[in-house]
Amino acid sequence: MIPTFLSYFSFSIRAFICCLLLLSAFVASEVWANEHFEIVIYPGVGEKEISHNSLRSIFSMRQKTWPDGTKIRVFVLPDDDQLHEIVSKEKLNVFPYQLRSMWDRLVFSGTGQAPIKVNSVEEMLTKVASTPGAIGYLWRAKIDDTVTVLQIK
Amino acid sequence: MLVFVLLSGELTAQAQIIDPSLKSIEPSQRAVVLLPAGELPAQALESNAATATQKPNLFNRTTNWLRSRNLPGDLQIHGFASQGYITTSDNDVFGNSNNGGSFGLTEAGLNVSVRPLPKLQLSAQVLSRRAGKGNDGMPRLDYAILDYQLYSHEANQYGIRIGRLKNPFGFYNETRDVAHTRPSILLPQSIYFDRTRNLGLSGDSIQLYGETAIGSIGTFSTQLGVFWPIVNDKDTEVSLIASRFSPQPLGGLNRDASFIGRGIFETNDKRLRLGISGIWLNTSYDPHGITDPVRSGSLQFTPIYFSAQYNAEKWSITSEYAIRHFKYDSTFSSNMLINGKDFFGESYYVQGEYRFTPKWEGFIRYDALYTDRSDRNGKEFQEELLTKYNLPIAAHSRFAKDITVGLRWNVTPEFMLRAEYHRVNGTGWLSRLDNPSTEGPMSQHWDLYAIQASYRF
Repeated sequence: MIPTFLSYFSFSIRAFICCLLLLSAFVASEVWANEHFEIVIYPGVGEKEISHNSLRSIFSMRQKTWPDGTKIRVFVLPDDDQLHEIVSKEKLNVFPYQLRSMWDRLVFSGTGQAPIKVNSVEEMLTKVASTPGAIGYLWRAKIDDTVTVLQIK
Repeated sequence: MLVFVLLSGELTAQAQIIDPSLKSIEPSQRAVVLLPAGELPAQALESNAATATQKPNLFNRTTNWLRSRNLPGDLQIHGFASQGYITTSDNDVFGNSNNGGSFGLTEAGLNVSVRPLPKLQLSAQVLSRRAGKGNDGMPRLDYAILDYQLYSHEANQYGIRIGRLKNPFGFYNETRDVAHTRPSILLPQSIYFDRTRNLGLSGDSIQLYGETAIGSIGTFSTQLGVFWPIVNDKDTEVSLIASRFSPQPLGGLNRDASFIGRGIFETNDKRLRLGISGIWLNTSYDPHGITDPVRSGSLQFTPIYFSAQYNAEKWSITSEYAIRHFKYDSTFSSNMLINGKDFFGESYYVQGEYRFTPKWEGFIRYDALYTDRSDRNGKEFQEELLTKYNLPIAAHSRFAKDITVGLRWNVTPEFMLRAEYHRVNGTGWLSRLDNPSTEGPMSQHWDLYAIQASYRF
């Protein structure tokens, strides 16, 4: 009885570890597959690179100013947009529904504002290029010299 | 349903009233600075499409920059409206629900926020809530906040908020009236009492807040404040100053300085969220002249809440636990049931949510409330009242155990329909105003069915 139990136990441990490995391989491959988009900002913003923490804080609508003290204005695509989903998951490491519930909490408790919604990648480009302090994201193929690519360190 | 349609129509009309005043502003600016494009009526979207094809040059950029300086800073307008239909097998919830059902739960709100300076935000919300005898739908100021960020460096932010603030406790209190932010039509009543909601909802307050990055693991957010609670409503007075001499206390409760604090740790991926909140609420009773059978005295309510949540892509598990300490002075008169009472209440819920698709979600929850944790079945209290005051009361008014299942359909990102079923054992959290003893005794085992339509923008 005991040996059977032990062998079952060690089998389940092995199975568990295999699952973990598979999972990490999957996560790793997701991270590698992402470099088709960039975080973009209004060219007047002085920054060239920011930290991952800072990026998350900006899209959580908590960090409200650039290091030089000017306003940050966040632009996003609709919750079910493919690029929005990819940026949320791969760059911000959260699911779109989590971003939405964070923004709702801020807006309806009066402790923050929601990001500004744009309806297309084209509109994203126009808005980020023309709004002081703007930050957004774009497919690489859509990026031109009217916006600056922000490096995430 | 009809009421809801009327309400949402009203809100849309309001949004359009706002629009003509913006006509003088150049279309591209209108959407950029004033409102997210998706929140404007169709004509604004058309003009956005027109500017999208126009390549911005230095001139455009400069004029845009100048204009954005002259306009009110980043004005945003948001709102919501919900209509519920509730029917119960026995007992009343938000109206006469056990007699053919009731449309007694209507919630609507409209808020405005501006950022006149990069670190300064002003915001205010007006709320109307019609729910049973305790809330008649009169619009009232829900919050009005001045928020100044004192220090900001990367993911670390510290600041101060002054005004009428929503009380930060648990995961849901601050946005409890916005259906889209709730997991269900009725929040778990053991933690988020609707009976004494105004007591915990908001107060005139000064608060310090901070968000600190903890390496690359996560963030720790804290809010600490002093507030003057809103205690002068009927439901709260009846709940706190239970009197057997009159259906409502004759005197009133005072707004004494109280304290509140909450800390929430979140991993960077927001999968794990752990919170602890505490309130130290002070209030006192002023009798109505010398004939008032209730004499003056003060009471403290000091609950502590522990909250935990785990979020995966398809599912979330949430649990909150509260231990609630009530302490009444022994000066209320020896005839009073509450006189000198000192006891701990206990409540908790465990909830699982599953997102079948982004449009369809389901949840299941077990929610338990014990008014006095040392007397979980209410028998001792029943005995005490009978022997001391010859007053027969139901033991089940001292607890409530609620099993709930529900379904949510996000028809569009703005519009949602949901339905839920509660099987409840106990009457511990039912409103005494909606279920007065003159209408006969309450039933221990009862069912509640609810549907709700909700719109937000």
